[in-house]
Amino acid sequence: MMAQPAETLNETTVRKLIARHGGADRVPRRFKLITDTSDFFRVEYNDVVILGGVPYWVKRYEKEGRFGLDDEPKYWVRRAVELTTGATRIIKLVFHEQFDTIIGDVKITCFRSPKKEARLLDLVAGHKNFMHGRWVLDAAGNNVRILEFIRGPRFDDVITGYGTDHHDYFHHHFLRVLDQFIELIQAIKFLHDQGEKHGDIRRDHIIWDEATQANRWIDFDYNYMQGESLFTFDLQGLGNILIFLAGRGDVLVPDLYHQQREIFDTLWGEDLSIAYKNRVANLQKIYPYIPDSLNRVLLHFSFGANIFYETTDQLLADLATARVDMVSLTGRQL
Amino acid sequence: MNEQNFGDLARRDTERHLLVAVDESDNSRRAVMYVADFFSGYADVFITLLSIIREPSEDFFPTETERQTWLQKKKSEMETHLAEYKAILIDAGFQTNRVETRLSIRPCISIGDAILEEQAKLRCCIVVVGRRGISHSEEFILGSTSSKILHHATHCAVMVVE
Repeated sequence: MMAQPAETLNETTVRKLIARHGGADRVPRRFKLITDTSDFFRVEYNDVVILGGVPYWVKRYEKEGRFGLDDEPKYWVRRAVELTTGATRIIKLVFHEQFDTIIGDVKITCFRSPKKEARLLDLVAGHKNFMHGRWVLDAAGNNVRILEFIRGPRFDDVITGYGTDHHDYFHHHFLRVLDQFIELIQAIKFLHDQGEKHGDIRRDHIIWDEATQANRWIDFDYNYMQGESLFTFDLQGLGNILIFLAGRGDVLVPDLYHQQREIFDTLWGEDLSIAYKNRVANLQKIYPYIPDSLNRVLLHFSFGANIFYETTDQLLADLATARVDMVSLTGRQL
Repeated sequence: MNEQNFGDLARRDTERHLLVAVDESDNSRRAVMYVADFFSGYADVFITLLSIIREPSEDFFPTETERQTWLQKKKSEMETHLAEYKAILIDAGFQTNRVETRLSIRPCISIGDAILEEQAKLRCCIVVVGRRGISHSEEFILGSTSSKILHHATHCAVMVVE
């Protein structure tokens, strides 16, 4: 439902709207009406932010696991009720964060860019594999993104629940997972074809939308100072996810050392992920039934790789071959 | 800065036209010095010193003014470097009219591709680049311009100066 601007927004009308959508007993005794979100710490639980003439009743902040810190609060990202429709929204306030992240042994300077996310929201409107939303400038000119709330679990949580063990997962579920992931790569190709990048491709940035029965990429407000090519960082993110999917989780070197020493002893440095050296990329050494064609794709993301994917087209072409072999292996044609 | 005479392709085809792709790095300087040392004795060699500045996205700057300021500064710095590189070649014995500089500011997905586009336009027979000596991980994550050129160059030779 499209949001309709409230007629006259003062505390009285806002109280009525909260009572209508939240119940009379939940109307807070005191709250602030906010039109300038520059200081996002000022936006507190139960406050109402007015954006583009529409009031949003602010609830909890969102959390994100990152850099080894689980459930790190994102104070600039708030869940809210759109008081003209009652719909749950995610409000992303402006936070110009800049930081260095280390991947492998490479330092990358990342930026959080509201402008980029707003531009991509316009670009992916209607695309089933991305989160949707709109953006407005608040009274101070801050670019605030108002996102539709996606109900559903993370993609990685879904797939690790498939099968009783890796053999069962790989022979009975992985083909379906691969098809879903190919669709997700095609969505990234859609961005790249428009000269844009996702910027923060991680497996917890894919949500299985229970309503639309599709996986959707979220959180594309990151940008970074790229090197030779605009898209290599996105591609290595896709590779990390593929390794996770093919392995039904990350296969960690310390686990092998402690639990499967005979396999650990067969590993070389070149078998490990180039981005995360405690993870195995050459999964065929662990699971010998993984087809060569799929394992070759995984090896592009290993420390032993001499050539890397430069485009999603290259990756998709190789995965198409791997898919054919998966069909042969499992006797399934989805 | 001289404009290349694109119309005179016949001349380009008969000349030994080297495209030396440079940036502000030490390895670019080494590549220029290598060319100076290696080719200055040849009277029919023509050198284009090329620098590509990737037009940065608006995302990196709070305002357009700041973006333009950054670009102007970068352009000015690169013009200085190009002048220095040209001087190295002239000092080595190249005729002034045999060395041109070219600065291209453009949005581009890949610097390597942009260099190869210039090579195709100018019909250079050799592309010379310096090599940064980046780590395996860095090449994986950020890409490598010299690798890109090595893998994708057609109708020309490639010299990678370590």
